[in-house]
Amino acid sequence: MNIKKYLALTRLGMMEKLHYRLGTFVTLFGNLIYLVLIYFLWKAIYASSGSDVVNGMTLNDTLVYLVLATALFNFLEVFLVWDMSREIQSGAIVLKLLKPMNFRSYSFWSYIGENVMSFFLTFLPTFIIINILTNGSIALSFNLLFFVVSVIMALVINFSIDMICATICLYTESTWGLNMVKECIVLLLSGASIPLAFFPEVLRKIVQYLPFRCIYDTPLSVLLQKPGYTFGTGLISTLALQLAWCIALTAIGCAFWSLSLKKITVNGG
Amino acid sequence: MNMNNMSVSVAKRRGLKFYLDIYRKILIQDLKSKMSYRADFVISNIGMIVSNLVGFVTFYILFQNFPSINGWTMYEMLFLYGFSLVALTPVQCFFDNNWNLRYAVKTGDFIKYCFRPINIFFYYISEVFDVKGLGQLCFGVGTLVYAWSHLAIPVTAATVMQTLLFLFAASLFMIAIMNFAAATCFWIQNSGYIMVIMFRFKDFAKYPASIFNSFFRIIFTFVIPIAFIAYYPSLVVLRPNEIPLLSWLSPLIGLLFFYLSYRFWLLGARKYDGTGS
Repeated sequence: MNIKKYLALTRLGMMEKLHYRLGTFVTLFGNLIYLVLIYFLWKAIYASSGSDVVNGMTLNDTLVYLVLATALFNFLEVFLVWDMSREIQSGAIVLKLLKPMNFRSYSFWSYIGENVMSFFLTFLPTFIIINILTNGSIALSFNLLFFVVSVIMALVINFSIDMICATICLYTESTWGLNMVKECIVLLLSGASIPLAFFPEVLRKIVQYLPFRCIYDTPLSVLLQKPGYTFGTGLISTLALQLAWCIALTAIGCAFWSLSLKKITVNGG
Repeated sequence: MNMNNMSVSVAKRRGLKFYLDIYRKILIQDLKSKMSYRADFVISNIGMIVSNLVGFVTFYILFQNFPSINGWTMYEMLFLYGFSLVALTPVQCFFDNNWNLRYAVKTGDFIKYCFRPINIFFYYISEVFDVKGLGQLCFGVGTLVYAWSHLAIPVTAATVMQTLLFLFAASLFMIAIMNFAAATCFWIQNSGYIMVIMFRFKDFAKYPASIFNSFFRIIFTFVIPIAFIAYYPSLVVLRPNEIPLLSWLSPLIGLLFFYLSYRFWLLGARKYDGTGS
């Protein structure tokens, strides 16, 4: 297949990301401040609980998990909903629709470029720093390989969810509220704000099968080698579930998009 | 004598009533244009409520695992959360136009505000009323009442008045912070990221400042006064036996801080000399 055209888009996305370096640094700074909050909050929480291990997680485990989740969030974040609504308002979307390439793959491959850049700019430094600070608590062996596989699938799932939301926006013509709902639900149900281990039993069982946890919880658990996520104890079935969601959401997203394409009303352009 | 009288009457007309009257007129125009996007109004408010609901669920899950945080029970934390939501409503509803300031300054649109014979800060800010804040207000009041009813705080005229007064004081801090952040665009081009960072600080408001170590507590009290959005003012109602001096002073500090941000904003506006187009 003609992969070259996709890689060209990816390169463009990478260059675009590099162009806005200041924004990246400000995001990093904002994160740093946010980590201060996470640190003090969970320190206070553990100090009041009286025991060192809660739900099988120590303070250190929780902090590593949440810090990496924040880094993962910045790495995976795509602004598809925002970009698309702006392009619809300005009419610029027409130019993308006219391209001899599927709009969905066009967006996907350009965002991938940005994601790759932010992986090196935000996630990797955070990972290295946290591993040094915790004296190498994260094992560096085959889990890294599975983590990469898992993260790529997380990326696809995240993009698909964004794409579905963006498509819904074609009907509602309102972006802010919908995006807010999406972001909050994803952050909560994926374990990015509280590790899933703390969820009440019933809720956790439900969340276990939803696609949201595949975005943050699954890659992180694989990376940190949580019980049930190592080779031989359920790694394969976890990755299989992720793959299933990958395919399902992509299929739903594609179908929904091509169905809704006729709906787009572009004011001018 | 006659001249004197006239200038007095002009000055009088420029009083509070004059500005309220203008605000009402601008507000009606703004709402009229907003009403043409009714679906957006509904969805935005749903978004606001869901995002706050998620915050509520987060607390619930946390307190399923831990009985208290730093000596704060779940209902006390919820009180703090509701308090911060209500205190953050005015900045959301009335001061949302600050977010557009950097575009107005960059494109040169800001010059139009310089030619009106009324207070430039007032005119600029009054132009937008953000309806999204109403969903947050409802949710915040609900949370506050829910927490209040579980905390056995007596409902007397005194406690209600105290709550209202300190809510008002608390709201001034976020308004002032955002005024400062927005006004930086008069000096630094495209300074939106300063606003974004400052706006993220509001997430800190719903936690008791006592969880931080002394260094960060000083920062969040005196440098970026986030602790005044909920922590210090709500102590007056929550812990009436051990109210720190800073809690009592928060209305005064709030007014002072707001005034300083207002002067800073005007300083920037006066420095503004258009884009030349």
